[in-house]
Amino acid sequence: MKGAELKHGDLEGLLKGLLEKGVVDCLIVPHRAGKSVSYMLVKHADKIESSASALFAPSFSVNAANLVKGWTIKEKVGIVAKPCEIRAAVELIKLKQLDNESVLLITTDCSGAYTNQVYTEHYAEIGDQVDSAKITELEGKGITIRESCAICEHRLADVGDIIIASGAGDDLVVAGLTEKGEGALTALELSLEDKDLERAAEKEKIAAEAKAKLAGLPELSSLDALEEFLQDCIVCKNCRDMCPVCYCKECFFDQPLGDPAGGDLLNLAELRGAVGLPTGQLFYHLTRVYHVSTTCVGCGACEDACPKDIPLTRLYPVITQKVQEIFKYEPGKDVDEPLPFTAYEEEELEECLR
Amino acid sequence: MGEEAKEEFEPKIVGFTCNWCTYAAADLAGTSRKKYPPNSRIIRLMCSARLDPMFVLKALLNGADGVFFSGCHPGECHYIKGNFYARRRIAAIRTILKQFGLDDRFKSYWISASEGEKFANTMKSLTEEVKELGPNPMRGKII
Repeated sequence: MKGAELKHGDLEGLLKGLLEKGVVDCLIVPHRAGKSVSYMLVKHADKIESSASALFAPSFSVNAANLVKGWTIKEKVGIVAKPCEIRAAVELIKLKQLDNESVLLITTDCSGAYTNQVYTEHYAEIGDQVDSAKITELEGKGITIRESCAICEHRLADVGDIIIASGAGDDLVVAGLTEKGEGALTALELSLEDKDLERAAEKEKIAAEAKAKLAGLPELSSLDALEEFLQDCIVCKNCRDMCPVCYCKECFFDQPLGDPAGGDLLNLAELRGAVGLPTGQLFYHLTRVYHVSTTCVGCGACEDACPKDIPLTRLYPVITQKVQEIFKYEPGKDVDEPLPFTAYEEEELEECLR
Repeated sequence: MGEEAKEEFEPKIVGFTCNWCTYAAADLAGTSRKKYPPNSRIIRLMCSARLDPMFVLKALLNGADGVFFSGCHPGECHYIKGNFYARRRIAAIRTILKQFGLDDRFKSYWISASEGEKFANTMKSLTEEVKELGPNPMRGKII
């Protein structure tokens, strides 16, 4: 890969350059509003904020990929976001919900994030950027990162077109992973050189920590456990709406069969003696687990979206990971790799059938 | 549940079969007067790839004691590759069912149109297995 070394202070210029040189037509970048961080869509370079501090802010509000889901526009959109968000965008490209030619995906390193509420509340302690030592220190004060971040093995930027990797202190490495990304960096007139960004040791350490955290989570291992887990679910479907890779235009659960009411519900009650209200928590969530089983990037947006505070990370990312394992598929890794359900081998999986 | 009650238990089994192989095999079993238990209710699909895993979930959650799927042997699909896709979907849903201990109630087979005998034998063993499992606990639940 080809890249350049920069300082934190150079990021503002880099982003402005992308707009000014016409590499992208607009940019979706993290934006600081007081103590909190959200996203903004920038068309004019002068609106890029002077402190690029928000880029690395450990705050998760929405998954940026969800913001551009279904955008089929000609204009080129640059997206600067965390690895899980870019991975979701890559999955959306494969699902034909985004055009690869009209996006430029820029991934920043992430060290784990807090929900935006926690981040805003504890901004004084958390600050603009954290590292693993700081996360442990804050944990001692009862300020913890999101569960989905704690079990995430992919915190280092290694997907998308361009990566922004943080080094020691103020140092950064910006590198192009794809031809598109390298082209964009060339257009910015950065002096590119061959970069060997080998971070295997760091990656392994993160993966080991994440696996340990995952092993520590309570497991949903029976239908009774799942029923208990979901008993507070009001089937608001907010987890679906905030999920970046749940993309059907007409969801089954918005249709009469999936969302029975009135006479349909009476018929169901007649059949079963009684139905719970709201009905269909198990059917809804199990179906959704299957629907996102190969594409779930484990961003945890579903858990953040749940108004009843159900820890959905223990359901979605944890179980979909097991499905991804049987297909040896890692969502969001490579735009050219086919989705498991659109491909097959002539001889495979027989052991998974019985 | 006592021994007596267990003997009386007749499971309800929902089967999804493809039109070209297993449905024809069931037909063959019938015309060749093979005997097999009447517990299965077969739903004919035009191809095994028509099996939406939601069907399996819905049947199990609505109290079916067993669910089975059967199609053409891999490589022999009437539509060339439908059952290859089906196989991946089934592997995925089975992984999910396994997590919640539901996979015992879901079986999948490959039975071709000429295997009437195999179909009858499969139905016999399937009914026995499901009887052994007992009624689906979802039946009485309010969901």
